[in-house]
Amino acid sequence: MRILGISAHYHDSAAALVVDGLPVCAIQEERLSRRKNDSAFPLAAVEWCLDEAGLEPEELDAVVFYEKPMRKLERILVTALRAFPRSWRSFPQAMKNTLGEKAWVKGIIASRLGVPARKILFTEHHQSHAAAAFLTSPAREAAILTADGVGEWATLTEGRGSRSPDGGCAIELLRELRFPHSLGMFYSTFTAYLGFEVNEGEYKVMGLASYGEPRFAEQVRAILRPTADGALELDLGYFDFHLSGRRAWSSRLVDVFGPPRSPGHPLDLATPDGKRFADVAASVQRVLEDRLVELTRALRRETGLRDLCLGGGVALNGCANARILNESGFERVFVPPAPGDAGCALGAALYADRIHFGGRDRPVPDHAYWGCPVDAGELERLAREDGLEVELAPGDRALVERVAEELANGRIVGWMDGRCELGPRALGNRSILASPASADMRDRLNREVKFREEFRPFAPAVPAGVADRYFELPPGGARLGRFMSGVFPVRPEWRSRLGAVTHVDGTARVQVVDPEVSPRFHALLLAYGARTGIPVLLNTSFNLSGEPIVARAVEGYSTFRRSGIDLVVAGRCIVAKARASGVRREEEAVS
Amino acid sequence: MDEHRAPSLERILRPVHRWVWRDAHRCARKLLTFAATEADGGRDLSRAAELTTDPLLRRLFLRHALDESHHAELFRARGRTMLAALGGGGGWLEARWLTPGERGGDDLRVEDVKDASLLAFLHLSEKVAAARFEVYRDVIPDEETREVFRRILRDEVFHVHYTRTQLERIAPERHRRELWLARASRLWKGYLRVATALAGRLGTVILLAQYFLVLPLFALAAKRAARRERPGWSERQREQPTLESQY
Repeated sequence: MRILGISAHYHDSAAALVVDGLPVCAIQEERLSRRKNDSAFPLAAVEWCLDEAGLEPEELDAVVFYEKPMRKLERILVTALRAFPRSWRSFPQAMKNTLGEKAWVKGIIASRLGVPARKILFTEHHQSHAAAAFLTSPAREAAILTADGVGEWATLTEGRGSRSPDGGCAIELLRELRFPHSLGMFYSTFTAYLGFEVNEGEYKVMGLASYGEPRFAEQVRAILRPTADGALELDLGYFDFHLSGRRAWSSRLVDVFGPPRSPGHPLDLATPDGKRFADVAASVQRVLEDRLVELTRALRRETGLRDLCLGGGVALNGCANARILNESGFERVFVPPAPGDAGCALGAALYADRIHFGGRDRPVPDHAYWGCPVDAGELERLAREDGLEVELAPGDRALVERVAEELANGRIVGWMDGRCELGPRALGNRSILASPASADMRDRLNREVKFREEFRPFAPAVPAGVADRYFELPPGGARLGRFMSGVFPVRPEWRSRLGAVTHVDGTARVQVVDPEVSPRFHALLLAYGARTGIPVLLNTSFNLSGEPIVARAVEGYSTFRRSGIDLVVAGRCIVAKARASGVRREEEAVS
Repeated sequence: MDEHRAPSLERILRPVHRWVWRDAHRCARKLLTFAATEADGGRDLSRAAELTTDPLLRRLFLRHALDESHHAELFRARGRTMLAALGGGGGWLEARWLTPGERGGDDLRVEDVKDASLLAFLHLSEKVAAARFEVYRDVIPDEETREVFRRILRDEVFHVHYTRTQLERIAPERHRRELWLARASRLWKGYLRVATALAGRLGTVILLAQYFLVLPLFALAAKRAARRERPGWSERQREQPTLESQY
């Protein structure tokens, strides 16, 4: 079977191709269109996937969209009706948004790809999340929890997945929490309240939380409270997201927590307002974690299973994931590399293959590298055209030794290797790497490369074999660290020597690197360790603020030229920045 | 910078600009909006650099992208400093359409245009922006913000100059035609923007009429149904809809 999965029209659209039960490729549209969080129909991603597999659209057996558009339309309409007449402002906008393209997905897929309508299928949004979490994990049987802003009606589901010895698969979602009661909307509302962009600034809330005290936790608990049957309920008096498209919170929320932060306003943690915002972030983060721990504990008791698969955008919260692992009773927690909507493209395709068509289960390769490969020759050509020195390493060993030497000398490296990652994390194939030793490097990266807020931490990468030496990983922690899905304490004795990656609260969102999955990156970590005594590197995504992670060599090169990155590497090709800046040459050429 | 004399429309609008920039809150927010516009412009140019096959153009676009990022930083820093000094509150009207930023109302999809067309577009848009920024510089009451515009205007001279010379280099026979086409394209896009906005307003009116005339009865039913819903878990139906269904 050849099955194409598509997610689109909300944020971060993507396409994924599954052939004979195994993923062949998957990529977010933003990586090709170069528009961050591109939510447009992922035509470029689809075309790339088909080209990669050498398929024509008519050769596909099915195209699966990741949610049910008509049920979503129903939710939008019913929500407007329930809020009548207060929804009069948001109603026209919501209708125009939905009726413009989102409601006609079947026709759009049929016309853009030229596939017959009978081949187009629709999974439920949270079925896609559940499939992306369970079917890509190595678990035989696992409890499943998915949580995000909202799909059709569901905002959170619980269920279980199983693989039988005869190759069959089952995913059963037992219950759901429905809009407007939503953990994702709760967190996003506070993201907006704190002046950050929704669907983009949630990491910032998590980073900011470490600077605050959860002194508003009781007030937040009253807003997000448990129900008698163990689910959750939002006190809707504090929210307006279900009533108005203008603002997510109500004036009651402002009465409790004070005025919101304007997006442009500086966030100075030394001021009373800055401290208040950090305290709100800490309180929201604490309550989110508490509620997730309560839910997963109950799920563990109910199912008696040892493994948990987490899906949905909320599963990107590494602090919450670590607490779930530590406190829920589950022995292993699996979070896919793309638990958000982008991963739903893959989830939808796998769901159709295993459940709808009854395909035999095949273990999905346990990595994130499903995107387009890097062409070292392209980097070489670009650098030579611009008169930069190009070095071609004779072999992998020479390459990692050379790059490790540069890193040990304090240089910042743009590292491109193999195929790009699916999902929001750079896991060593499209990464900016640097020494993790001192906070000065963190400041330099913020100032010269990433141009981002000071309170956001950088992540470390460490070889699997020695991760425990530097980080306090609980049993199962290395698994969460595989895709940077957990935040764990840095061992106190190493914190001063890992200053660039140790957050203010002594934690780090660590990536545990498996030599079988990322052999070159793993070798680089070891080579760096041989020089410095600590085989840990700072690993941050290869992009500049407001841009998607680079996919191709030309984008890596352009990022390298526009930032303080000292060295860019693609495959075995190494390009260093010229000592004397060539910027003026262009002006001379013009004049 | 006086070589790019403000067009007559901008000169006529000088009192309006003076009024717009007089309010410090509005001024700060406008600078932050300009910062976002410049950052977007920088991203477009870096994309143009990634797409072009001409090495000199690539280097120039990268330099231009760096300038735009730097301008974004200048605007952002000044806007934030002003906001920090002013505290909360302030006027609500930003008057964005009266005093647009560098690209004004122009939108750019670099993937869809060839190098010559892109250079023509950039030349016109930089020229207009430089003239506009010159007016802003003159009417802004505080010296520090004026200095930001002064510094940016110095780069604009280079941008206006290189886009023209490069257009003449890569399209020696048809650079004037490209400029006229770019002007026509700007006019057409302007018309499309107005038409789209009008259609949007019309759509809003029709939907609002339906909202108030058709929906009230359904709203009543929906509210009743909502009252019957109990909080907490919803059990999922045993019979799930098939994947063929969109519902």
